[in-house]
Amino acid sequence: MSEGGSGKWVVGSGNGQGRVQGMTTLPASTPRRVRRPSNLLPMLAVAVFAALIYWPVMLFANQGAAQKALDSGADLGCKTALACATQLRNPVIPAPGQFWVGMRSLSAQPFSATAAPYNALVTGGETLLGLGLAVVVGLALATLLVRSRSFERATLPWLVASQTVPVVALAPMLAVLLGQAGVQGFLPKALIAAYIAFFPVTIGMAQGLRSPDPLQRDLMQTYRASGPQTFLLLQLPASLPYLFTSLKVAATAALVGSIVAEISTISFSGLGKMLAENSRASDTVALWVIMVYGAALGIALVALIGLLERAVTRWRPVA
Amino acid sequence: MSLERPVPRLAGAWGALGLSGLGLAGLSLLLARQEAPAQLGPAQPGLWLVGITALLLLGAVGIRQSAQGEGHPARTVPAAATLILLVLAAEAALRAYAVPTGLIPTPSKVLEALWAARTVLWRDALTTFVYEALLGFVIGTLLGLGLALLSVRLRFLERGLLPYAALLSSVPIVALAPVVIKAVGLGVASKTIIVAVTVLFPVLINAVRGLHSAQSMHLDLMHSYAASAAQTFRDVRWPSALPFVFTALRVAAPLSLINAIVAEFFGTEGRGLGFRIQIEVGKFGLDVVWAAIVVASVLGISFYLVISLIERRILPGRR
Repeated sequence: MSEGGSGKWVVGSGNGQGRVQGMTTLPASTPRRVRRPSNLLPMLAVAVFAALIYWPVMLFANQGAAQKALDSGADLGCKTALACATQLRNPVIPAPGQFWVGMRSLSAQPFSATAAPYNALVTGGETLLGLGLAVVVGLALATLLVRSRSFERATLPWLVASQTVPVVALAPMLAVLLGQAGVQGFLPKALIAAYIAFFPVTIGMAQGLRSPDPLQRDLMQTYRASGPQTFLLLQLPASLPYLFTSLKVAATAALVGSIVAEISTISFSGLGKMLAENSRASDTVALWVIMVYGAALGIALVALIGLLERAVTRWRPVA
Repeated sequence: MSLERPVPRLAGAWGALGLSGLGLAGLSLLLARQEAPAQLGPAQPGLWLVGITALLLLGAVGIRQSAQGEGHPARTVPAAATLILLVLAAEAALRAYAVPTGLIPTPSKVLEALWAARTVLWRDALTTFVYEALLGFVIGTLLGLGLALLSVRLRFLERGLLPYAALLSSVPIVALAPVVIKAVGLGVASKTIIVAVTVLFPVLINAVRGLHSAQSMHLDLMHSYAASAAQTFRDVRWPSALPFVFTALRVAAPLSLINAIVAEFFGTEGRGLGFRIQIEVGKFGLDVVWAAIVVASVLGISFYLVISLIERRILPGRR
C-alpha cells in the first residue's frame, strides 16, 4: 500500500512504528520491522463508518427536494418526504440502490460508446500518450538544463514558477487553438496532458541527472568513459527513480488536463465528454458513477507507473 | 551594478541584451505602423521572422554572457531577460504574421485587456482567490492537521484512514467537482469544499509522516527527563513535524488556486476566474482569457511565496 499511493505523499506508518518501538522498550538492535499487522480491519472499519454517515446525510440532503416534489403533486410511490428521499428521479445525493442501478446501466456493455469503462479507457489512453510525450520533452529539457548553466539560469525560475501557474486554465484555449489548426481526435487531449506533465518531469529528471555523487563520476572518469557513456551508463539510470516520482505527481495533473480538454473541445468519447453531457442533463447518478470511474482511473494510472517503476528500477529497493 | 570593480564581460552582455531588446521592440513598433501587414505579401513575414530570430540569437548570446560568474546579477538577469525578450519576440512575430486576436492575442493586447477589464477581473480574483482558494486552503489545512493529530493518537484510525488518504490524493479533482457542485449548489461554498478536500489529503499524509519523524534519540531524551506526553509533543514531535507540514502547504497553496479555477468550469453563479476563462473562450475573447491567466499566475506565485516566507520565519535555519 505504501508504495502504491500518491507520488509525493507516501504513507510511512511502518517507519513510525519501528521508531516508537525503539523509543519505549525494545533495544536498538531489534530488527525494525517485526511484522506489521494488516491494515485490512481498520480500513474496513473506516469504510463501514463512512457508509453509516453517508445514509443520514443522504436522507437529509434529499428530504427538501422530496418535499418539493411531493408538494408539486408528483407521484413517487411514497407518502412522506423521508420515505421519498431514496426514490427521487434526480437526487441531490443518490441512495446506494440508485447508485448501483446507475453503475450497472453505465457499465453493462463495457465497450459500447456510451459506457463508462470504454470512455475511461479512452481518457486513460490519451493521458498515457501525453505522459509519454512529456517524458521525451522532459528528458531533452533536463539534459539541456544539466549541460548548460546559462540555460538553467535563464529558464529554471520560469519552469519552477510555471508549477504555480494554472496551466489547466490554458487547456480550453489550447483545445480551441489546436482545433483550428486541424489537429483533431486523440491528439489534442494528449498534447494538453503532455503540456501539463512535462514541467514536473523536467524538474525531476534534472534533479535525477545531477544525483550521481562525485565518487561515481570519478569512477567513470578512471574508466575513461566518454561524456555520452557517462550519460547513458551513470546519469540516465540514476535519474530513473526521480523520473517515476515526478511521473506519479504528473499523472493526476495530466489526467485532469485531458478531461478538461475533452470538456472544452468537441469530443465524441472520453470521461470529460460524459461529464459535460450529464452535467448539462443534471443526471446526478451518472455523475457519481463517472466520479467513481475517474477516481479509479487516477488510482490505476499511478499504480501502473508504480508497477513500471518496480520493473525498471530493479537494482534498488523502492524507497 | 558594482562601481568599484569594472566587469567588462557583463558590460558586453548588457550591450547584447539591450540591442536585442531594443531591436525587437523597434520591430514591433514598426509593424504597428503598418496599416495592414497582410498586404505586405507572402514573402514578407518570412523576412520579419529572420530578423526576429537573429535578434533573439543576439539576446541568447547576451544571456549566456550575463550568466557567467556568481554575483547577484548573474543569477537574476538571465531569467528576467529571457522573459522580456520572449514576450517582445512573441509580440513582433504575432504582428508580423498578423495573427488575429481571436486566435492568439499579442502581449500588448493582453495588457490592454488587463487594464480594460480590471474591475471585472478584480472581482473575479477576489471570489476565486479569497472565498474559494484561501478559505478552502485554511479549512483543509485545519481539518488535515486535526485528523493527523487524532490518527497519531489512535493507531487504529491511522491504519484505517491513511491508506484511503494516499489513494484519494491521486483522484482527479475534475471527477469530484461536478458531484459536489450538484450536491451543494452553484455558489462559492461548493468550490470552497472542493479546495478543502484537495488540500486535506496532502496535509494529513505529510503531517502524520512528520509527527512520526521525531528522532528516537530525542524521544529517548524526553523519556529520561520523565517528560509528559504533552511536553514531548510540544517540544519534540510538533517541531519535527512542521517542516513536513510546510512542504505539503507549499505544494497545496498554488494547487488550491488551480483547483478552484477548474472547479468553476463546472458551474458558478457568474463570477470567478475559471468562469471568466470559460465564458471568454466561448466568445473568442482570448485577450481577456490571457489576462485572467496572468492574474491567476501572479496570485498563485504570490501565494506560494507567502507560504515560503512564513515557513522561513517559523523555521529559521532550514533552507
